[in-house]
Amino acid sequence: MDKIRTFIEEQFLIEFDDTLPEYSNLFLEGVLDSFGYVQLCRFLEKEYNISFTEKEMTSNILISLTQIQQEVARKLSEKSTSQTPLVP
Amino acid sequence: MCGIAGLINPEFSVEEFPKLITGLLSAIAHRGPDGAGYVMADNFVMGSVRLAILDPEAGIQPISDDSERYWLCYNGEIYNYLELRSELETLGRTFKTKCDTEVVLQAWLQWGEGCLNRFNGAFGFALYDRKTKQLILARDRFGKRPLFYVQQGKAIYFASEMKAFLAIPGFAFEQDPSQLRSILGQWTPLPDQTGFKGISSLPMGEWLSFQDGQAERHIYSRLSFKSDIPIQNEADALDKIRSTLSDSVALRLRSDVEVGVYLSGGIDSAIVAHLAKSHAEQSIATFSVTFEDAQFDESAEQKLVAQRIGSRHLARHIRHSDIAQACPDAVYHAEIPAFRSAFVPMYLLSKLTSEEGVKVILSGEGADEAFLGYDLFKETLLRQEWDMLPDDVRRERLKRFYPHLSHYGDQDTAALTGLYQQFSTEHMPGLFSHELRFQNGRFSSRLINVDGEQNPFASLSGLISKNSDFDKMSSVQKAQWLEYKTLLSGYLLSTQGERMSLAHGVENRCPFLDPAVVNIAAATNLKFDDGFREKRLLREAFRGDLPAAVVDKRKFPYRAPDTEAFVAERPDYLELLLSDTELEKLPFLNKKFARLLINKMFTTSPDRISTKENQTFMFLLNIALLNYQFVTRKGLGSGTSLGTLPPLQRVVDLRTCSAS
Repeated sequence: MDKIRTFIEEQFLIEFDDTLPEYSNLFLEGVLDSFGYVQLCRFLEKEYNISFTEKEMTSNILISLTQIQQEVARKLSEKSTSQTPLVP
Repeated sequence: MCGIAGLINPEFSVEEFPKLITGLLSAIAHRGPDGAGYVMADNFVMGSVRLAILDPEAGIQPISDDSERYWLCYNGEIYNYLELRSELETLGRTFKTKCDTEVVLQAWLQWGEGCLNRFNGAFGFALYDRKTKQLILARDRFGKRPLFYVQQGKAIYFASEMKAFLAIPGFAFEQDPSQLRSILGQWTPLPDQTGFKGISSLPMGEWLSFQDGQAERHIYSRLSFKSDIPIQNEADALDKIRSTLSDSVALRLRSDVEVGVYLSGGIDSAIVAHLAKSHAEQSIATFSVTFEDAQFDESAEQKLVAQRIGSRHLARHIRHSDIAQACPDAVYHAEIPAFRSAFVPMYLLSKLTSEEGVKVILSGEGADEAFLGYDLFKETLLRQEWDMLPDDVRRERLKRFYPHLSHYGDQDTAALTGLYQQFSTEHMPGLFSHELRFQNGRFSSRLINVDGEQNPFASLSGLISKNSDFDKMSSVQKAQWLEYKTLLSGYLLSTQGERMSLAHGVENRCPFLDPAVVNIAAATNLKFDDGFREKRLLREAFRGDLPAAVVDKRKFPYRAPDTEAFVAERPDYLELLLSDTELEKLPFLNKKFARLLINKMFTTSPDRISTKENQTFMFLLNIALLNYQFVTRKGLGSGTSLGTLPPLQRVVDLRTCSAS
């Protein structure tokens, strides 16, 4: 999950710290615009082999580093559950 | 058009006055190359440089009343001066010249500050009363002409451009981190901000009195979008828009020299050019910038309009190298950090205009603010009803706003929808309309470290809280108010408009900034449509007069290549950013962020650089150049290159304690 933090910090030229905590709304803080949002989603999809529906992108689940990490973890967990072979 | 400058400082010897005032006026000589003049007495000195437009022989400044009690230095044009002069004559006032300068003086003597609301024009002036020892500074209602001042103890300095203060002994420029942070946040300075400590801009619609070392500011004009013009139906609205704009252009053609028009390729300047042609007794000249980079170029529409009105059309072609080469000169004239490079081509265009012998141009500024031309107004309308709209309507509206979305994938539409989702409710009181824009500004403001107030929008919030009418406005009217007070006055009219034109002695006039035009727009906006086709009524009002390709063209923001031009050309002065030693000279800079940004600009392809990064880089470059020129006084800001005094036409010496 550190990769997400690193990607956001490097791509958007910021540093998460006391003035910009990981739970900050990245839209309201001027970090994400629509251009950056697409970049972020494409990175997450490619890096973790997951995908986001339009509904997910337009709801409030990908707005802070904390929420993004949780959402990616949830999708990975879902994926691993669905891919676990049935034990005979 | 002219430039004015002057000072009251009890600590300066009167013997120094001639040298002092010629220094100040030399620094702004470009504003008035036709002549200079000044008046000095025991306690004040002020003067002007003049670009002779009306009554070139008799309009030499400064002027006084017969008793020599009142002295006026004046920069600008009062377009309704003939009407005011008639009114003043019926009240018993007599005139010696045909010039509007004398009308300003007599109007003040007749009506006092009440004259200011009667003026339809663009002006900044200084008036000194020798009996009461009171200095008056005043500025037009939209901020078309500049006026800066510095109050230090019992002293006051004033000038049309801040660079005049470089000629004041002991005066030091220092960039103000708190103001810079605010400027970067809201994209432009607020009406009183300059980016420098201790220097204020007199806000539009205000006048200042200075007496006994005390300065007081007064507001004479408040921006309002209330209109009492009755509009019967859409046909009536179109008639009134046509006739009001026609009158406005006719007033602005009052000149004793040739008048030209700046053609952008859009509807606004095309309307101005069409009306200018219909009123002009002879052929008119039109001027445009064209770009090597096709994404910025509008030459096809410019040619269409020029052909339709039969103008003598001239274009300045802009390449990356032109922008890189002219940028430091343009920044020196602008004096305020800018968020994009589009003012630089306008600097080169005014040079061409001047070389062609045209001293006065009309342009389309102010149309988008009055007639709701920007996407920002549509975004505001959409965002305020966002939460109540079904998904498919949201998508359909977004695609109408951003036609390019249909060329991209669903993910882009979803990203934009996600962005709107975050901005469908107000987070900053009163600033709902601008929160999307200010999101980019918040990113840029990270460049500046400040002590104390960290919120870059605190000053703006303070400004709106002082305006009791603001709360009563609709969301779109608030958006208009903010546009008039920030982007229009703080960048479009100043940095990109007036400062670039006057850098080469060209005066710009804006028919869309006539109070009657703003009033008719307020009376008709959103009355006959939903606002989602920008400036629809304006387009329809002139559909029969202009090529359909221009009337039906979508709003195409005037832009120029930003970072890519500098990265491609790599001019020597980029060392101001690339050298750590140079960056250290900006003590308030967030150097880590600045280095990351600079590195990204030079190592990333332009299509992967976002608008806000581009804009932040432009701010950084501007701040570094202004520091170099004004704070360290190198290059154009060095003492040896402040300018040459135009021919001295009038010196009035009223000193009684002079040693000479």
